[in-house]
Amino acid sequence: METTIRGAKTFVDEVAAEPGGEKINECIQCGVCSGSCTTVEWWEHPPRKIIAMIRAGKREQVLSSTSAFNCVTCYLCTVRCPRGIKPAQLIHAVEAIAEREGYKPKTPTIKLFRSLRNAMRQGRVWELGMALRFYLTSNILYGLKDVPLALSLMRRGLMPIFPPKKVKGSREVAAIMDKVEAMQKAGGAQ
Amino acid sequence: MKYYTYYPGCAMETTGKPIQASIDAVSKVLNIELKELPDWTCCGCPGESINELMSVALATRNLALAEKTGLDMLVPCSCCYRNLVNAHVIFTEDRRIRDQVKEALAVVNIEYKGTARVRNLMDVFINDIGLDVIASKVQNKLSGLKVASYYGCHQSRPYGPDDFEFPEWQDQIAESLGATPVFFPLKAQCCGGAQLFSQRDMVHKLLYKILDDVERHGGQCLATTLCPLCFTNLDANQGRIKSRAGTRFEMPIIAVTQLMGVAFGLKPAELGLKKNISPVTKVLDPYLKVRA
Ligand code: SF4
Ligand code: SF4
Repeated sequence: METTIRGAKTFVDEVAAEPGGEKINECIQCGVCSGSCTTVEWWEHPPRKIIAMIRAGKREQVLSSTSAFNCVTCYLCTVRCPRGIKPAQLIHAVEAIAEREGYKPKTPTIKLFRSLRNAMRQGRVWELGMALRFYLTSNILYGLKDVPLALSLMRRGLMPIFPPKKVKGSREVAAIMDKVEAMQKAGGAQ
Repeated sequence: MKYYTYYPGCAMETTGKPIQASIDAVSKVLNIELKELPDWTCCGCPGESINELMSVALATRNLALAEKTGLDMLVPCSCCYRNLVNAHVIFTEDRRIRDQVKEALAVVNIEYKGTARVRNLMDVFINDIGLDVIASKVQNKLSGLKVASYYGCHQSRPYGPDDFEFPEWQDQIAESLGATPVFFPLKAQCCGGAQLFSQRDMVHKLLYKILDDVERHGGQCLATTLCPLCFTNLDANQGRIKSRAGTRFEMPIIAVTQLMGVAFGLKPAELGLKKNISPVTKVLDPYLKVRA
C-alpha cells in the first residue's frame, strides 16, 4: 500500500527525503551490506531486502518490522557498499520514520532511544538515570538482571548514583534540541 | 610538549574512569598536554539512530567550541569520535543539513566555520608521538605477553585513518612495548555496546564471538580501544557469558593506555587498574612487580 506523507509521493521518495536516505535509488541490490552485517542473523529482513521492500512500496511492512532496530551502527555495510549508499544511515532513516510515526516494534530499542534523548537534554548523559527510565518504561524484570552489574560498577565508583553537575552548556543543549524538534515538526527540516 | 583540546565525552566521567586515569598518566610520560574543552556537552552520538539532524546539531556545538581553541580536538571514545567526525563531514558536504544546523545553533548564538580537526588518540600516538618515542619510554618490557588488540567499530569506521577491516595501530603499539601482538579476525567487529540495554541476548552473543576468537588465537589478554562502551561491555559482562568449554570467560580486559602505563613503569593505582572487573593482575603481575 502506498501512502502520501509530507507531500512525498511514494515510500521510496519519503525515505529519500530523510537525511541518509538520499541515495536509495542507486542501490544495485548486490547484497554486500547484508553479507557484511554484524547482526544479520537477527534481522527478519536483512538490509538489502529492506531497501528492496522500500522501493516496492511496502511501507507498513518495513516500518512495523523489528529488522532495522537490530542495527548496532557498526558501519561495516557502509564502508563496503560499492555504490557509496551508506546503508547504516539509510537504516537509521527508516528507524526515524518509524519512531516519529509511533510504530511499536517488538523491540524495546525505541524506548531506549527515548530515554537517551531525555538524558541528552541534561547536557551530559547520566547512565543510571537513563537505564532506570528505560527499564521502568520497557520491562522491569528484564532490567533486574542488570542489578548485579550495576552494583559491581557502583562499588568501583564507576556508576554515580547522582546526575553529573550541570554545565553552562546544558541550557544551550536543551534550546538546540527544542529548535531542531520545532523545525522538524514544521516539516521544513525533513 | 604537544597540546590538544580534549573532549572526554560523558562516559569517561563514569564507567570510563579507569581509562581516563591511564590516559592522564600516559600523556604525562609522552609530553602530551590535554586541555579539557570548556563547557563541552553530549556529542549527540546516542541519538543519531533516530534523529540525524539532532545528533549533528549537538556534535556541531562542540566542534564550534573546539574550533575557537585553534588546537586539534582529541577524542578518546570511539563513539564520540565517530559522531564528531561524522558531523563535521555532513556539515561541510551536505548543504541542506548545514543550513538547518546553522539555524538551530543560531538560537544560542553559536557559529561553526567548519575548521575543527577531530583526532583520535591512536592517530596521535602513531603520527604525532611516534612508535620510537613510545618504545623509548618503556621501563618494563612486556616480553612474552600475548596481546590481542581489539579496535571495535567506530575508531576506524567509517572515517578513522587506520584500516577499517584490519586496523593495526594498536598492535604496533603493543609491539613497541615488547609484547607479542596476536591476530584475531574479529578485531574490528562491533561489540554491540550501543544495544546493551535493549538487546541483551544479541550483545552477549557478539561478545561471545569476540572473546572466543581471542581465546582460539592464543591471546592472553585483550587490549581495548579507549572507548568506555567497548571497555565496559567486555570488562563487565564476560562473567555472564559461558565460553565454549562451558565455564565463564576470564579474559583480562585492559585499555591500551593501561597497557602502555604498565610498560612505562607506572603504578596500578595511577592506571585505574584496580577498577577493572576482569582479572587483569593475573597476567600483569610479572610486569608490575618491578615497581609494585
Ligand atoms: S551494498 Fe550498497 S548497493 Fe549493495 S545492496 Fe547494499 S546498499 Fe545496495
Ligand atoms: S551498521 Fe547496521 S546494518 Fe550496517 S553492518 Fe552494522 S549492524 Fe548491519
